[in-house]
Amino acid sequence: MIRQRLTSLIIAAACLMPSLVAHAGPERLVADLSNDQVAITSSYHGTELLLFGAFEGQDNDDVVLVVSGPPTKLAHRRSDKVAGIWVNVETNIWQNTPGFYHIFSTRPLAEIASPAVLAKAQLGPAALSLEYVSQAKDANSGNGHGGSNAGASNGPAKAATPAMINDLGRNMTDIGLWAERSDGVSIQRNTLFRATLYLPKNVPPGDYEVRVVHFRDGQVMSQQTTDMTVARKGFSAMVYDFAHKYSMLYGIFAVVFAVFAGWLAAVAFRRK
Amino acid sequence: MYIYLPIAEVSMHIGIVIGLGGGVGFLSGLFGVGGGFLMTPLLIFFGIPPAVAVATEANQIVASSVSGVLAHMRRGNVDFKMGAILMLGGVIGSSLGVVLFSFLRSIGQIDLVIKLSYVVFLGIIGALMLVESLRTMMRSRKPGAVRGKLHQHNWLHGLPFKMRFRRSKLYISAILPLAIGAFVGVLAAIMGVGGGFIMVPAMIYLLGMPTSVVVGTSLFQIIFVTANVTLLQSIQTQTVDFVLAGLLLFGAVIGAQFGSRAGAVLRGEQLRGLLALMVLAVCVKIGYDLVVRPEDLFSVELLK
Repeated sequence: MIRQRLTSLIIAAACLMPSLVAHAGPERLVADLSNDQVAITSSYHGTELLLFGAFEGQDNDDVVLVVSGPPTKLAHRRSDKVAGIWVNVETNIWQNTPGFYHIFSTRPLAEIASPAVLAKAQLGPAALSLEYVSQAKDANSGNGHGGSNAGASNGPAKAATPAMINDLGRNMTDIGLWAERSDGVSIQRNTLFRATLYLPKNVPPGDYEVRVVHFRDGQVMSQQTTDMTVARKGFSAMVYDFAHKYSMLYGIFAVVFAVFAGWLAAVAFRRK
Repeated sequence: MYIYLPIAEVSMHIGIVIGLGGGVGFLSGLFGVGGGFLMTPLLIFFGIPPAVAVATEANQIVASSVSGVLAHMRRGNVDFKMGAILMLGGVIGSSLGVVLFSFLRSIGQIDLVIKLSYVVFLGIIGALMLVESLRTMMRSRKPGAVRGKLHQHNWLHGLPFKMRFRRSKLYISAILPLAIGAFVGVLAAIMGVGGGFIMVPAMIYLLGMPTSVVVGTSLFQIIFVTANVTLLQSIQTQTVDFVLAGLLLFGAVIGAQFGSRAGAVLRGEQLRGLLALMVLAVCVKIGYDLVVRPEDLFSVELLK
């Protein structure tokens, strides 16, 4: 049912095209998504969105779509064998890293444009100029580990190397928050494009940005951004706000609730 | 039907949540234990963040201990004076435990410490229980075996601040139950358990309490220790998910009824033997995960 509605939306967008092309000057790209206000309610279990739009294309043109989520603080850890067991020996704290980053394209990014063009257009994890702070010292740096000030040894922020971004990206992909799909965008009649975005069940709430970039012969022709929000709604929002804004009251409530529930259970199943 | 757990920030099938509660509830009814040592690892296994699993399980144990202690109170099997001293120690210990938990979490070592605590304490308790139940089974086949003394006097009984515990028929130093309470409190806060599996043997073998009052008294003090953990975790880390706790509880209440009925057909030492095997199985599983090389040497955690 949603699909049908989306198809009609695409057709509507396509009908709008001539007028856009005629009046919008360089803005020859229009994009939208099936739902720009995603609600995390009590029954939320991941959701699928359709990203679609129209552009003035030719054969062999490419479209790249990037959905990036709220800047997030991440802890990236490396484990190693210490005394026979696997222990986290190194922690890097990444600031302002997208907590969600899905990139869709018509072909692998490397075939679409040169690294320099991609970097300038800020496409792909490697182009994000991410930074990290080394938190815990490496086990073999001589300082040992488990020291009481291990958490406090923050150094200056350093630029992440491609290898590090690769390691982080693999972990983020495993939990569904990052994704790179080189066949994720389909183009029809050189005017319509579409991609299916899957928001996983652990999607971080916040402001999202959806960016569409149109490539021809390895160069950016035009691009457009649109916003999307992911927010808790209803009961789950209420509980979350209660727990975070009135945390002491929430704790008292949780205890009273448990005592009452325990008493109720004892009364209900009392042996005669 | 899936339910989005507002604090854990993941969705789980409601059948899995209630089924987990029911399954662990059945075993806890069968063996007369709280079941935290099974539930917390299972929640982590099902993708609940460890911090949320530990704090939420504390919240659930408040409820299961309340319903458990009421039956023991009716039979007069709670030593309130001893319970109060253990509780005082437990509240101090669990408060320290919550602080320690936050610190370990901040340096990224909480998972390791949770796992190591499980391996060490479940390993020790499981092995001791298994040996004890096997001995009882052997002894019951040899009639005329002599039972040992109820408890022996040692240096622990020479400590100051002696108090009389009428219900337990003891005259011992208050320092001992206070220390035991504190130690178990720290573990309860870190492991997401009530601590009954350590408290009960400690009461019997270290304090020399009569077995009739240990379970009731242990449950009584667990209520306060886990309530303290729930409150402190709510304030400090906002990791108590009462929606998850409520659903687990719902399943556990029903499961425990069936479990306690099933338990009535087995003998005490057989039950203890089975419990010992289950405790050891959890210990081995967690221990194995520590030694085996992880699939990916890197891991990521979203911080708040």
